[in-house]
Amino acid sequence: MNDQNKLNDSRIDNDLIHATVKLNTLLFACVLACIFGIGLFSLTYISMYRTPEGYHNFLNLLGVFLPGYTVSASGAWIGLLWGALVGAITGIVIYRIYARSIYSQVLNFLESPDMKESDIDRVTLKIEGHPLGIALGSFVAISLILSTNLLVIRGAAENSHHAGLLSHYLPGYSVSFMGSIIGAVELFIFTYILCQILSCVYNGVVSFSEGRNK
Amino acid sequence: MRKQEDADKAILMMGFARLSVLGMSIALGVVCALFIFLVTAILLLNADPGDPYVGFNLKSLWIFIPGYSVSWLGGLIGAAMGGLVGIVLGFSIAVLWNLTHYVYIGLVVIRALWWRMMAD
Repeated sequence: MNDQNKLNDSRIDNDLIHATVKLNTLLFACVLACIFGIGLFSLTYISMYRTPEGYHNFLNLLGVFLPGYTVSASGAWIGLLWGALVGAITGIVIYRIYARSIYSQVLNFLESPDMKESDIDRVTLKIEGHPLGIALGSFVAISLILSTNLLVIRGAAENSHHAGLLSHYLPGYSVSFMGSIIGAVELFIFTYILCQILSCVYNGVVSFSEGRNK
Repeated sequence: MRKQEDADKAILMMGFARLSVLGMSIALGVVCALFIFLVTAILLLNADPGDPYVGFNLKSLWIFIPGYSVSWLGGLIGAAMGGLVGIVLGFSIAVLWNLTHYVYIGLVVIRALWWRMMAD
């Protein structure tokens, strides 16, 4: 069944799907905003107290992309705000892309003859590896292109030794437009594989738990 | 053939389905452990040891992961500690996801009760 047929299935209320996706996007953005904000705040404090004097504090490199951020007490608060903002945007983008699979998930339920109505009363979320991989992979790939080209536009490409080190993980990557595209494709593939592993492990644990509870 | 109500119910249950805390903790733990081990192993296998910048940032992970170094043993220690961080991260994401949904449902119920009370 193609996408057009899925959207045209008369049993599926598109307004209800849109409202559900909108709500979940908002909630997922809140969750990631909390995690990223508190995460960056905590990392800054750990870095402040555990880094020996005179040692290069690599978290300071984030200041290139998050204006005002430094590894300091005031920088931690700025990091909290930046983390929350980046987390919220990440949550919105990832969930919006992931939500494109909800139509097919609902259709699968409607066309699954062996699923009873009582099954959906105690439903636990299953993670679909493919849409998650596309969502997260696209997000990190676009982030890499944007951050690399920000360095290029600022004229800092020559001195970006730290960013250039990514070529050890992403062969062909360099701090240039073409290098960012090559790196983005490789990073997309790497993230996609990690998402597939994540969904396999998660769904495996959920199936195992449900099997034990039956 | 299932009916319109089934579809509506399926949409709502998928929208409000809970994340498995155990599943998310284990899954993110595995992914984080694998990630730390892989980035260390790739560097050990690929990098030129004479390059002064190689491992410069990665070895700084010891600040957050005690015992970590850019070596095979360090990679294993990093994987174990990274797994622990992933478990905490997965636990936090799942709990927050479920909690925000419970809070939202609670607010909707309270608002409905409030309006019913006002109407009476």
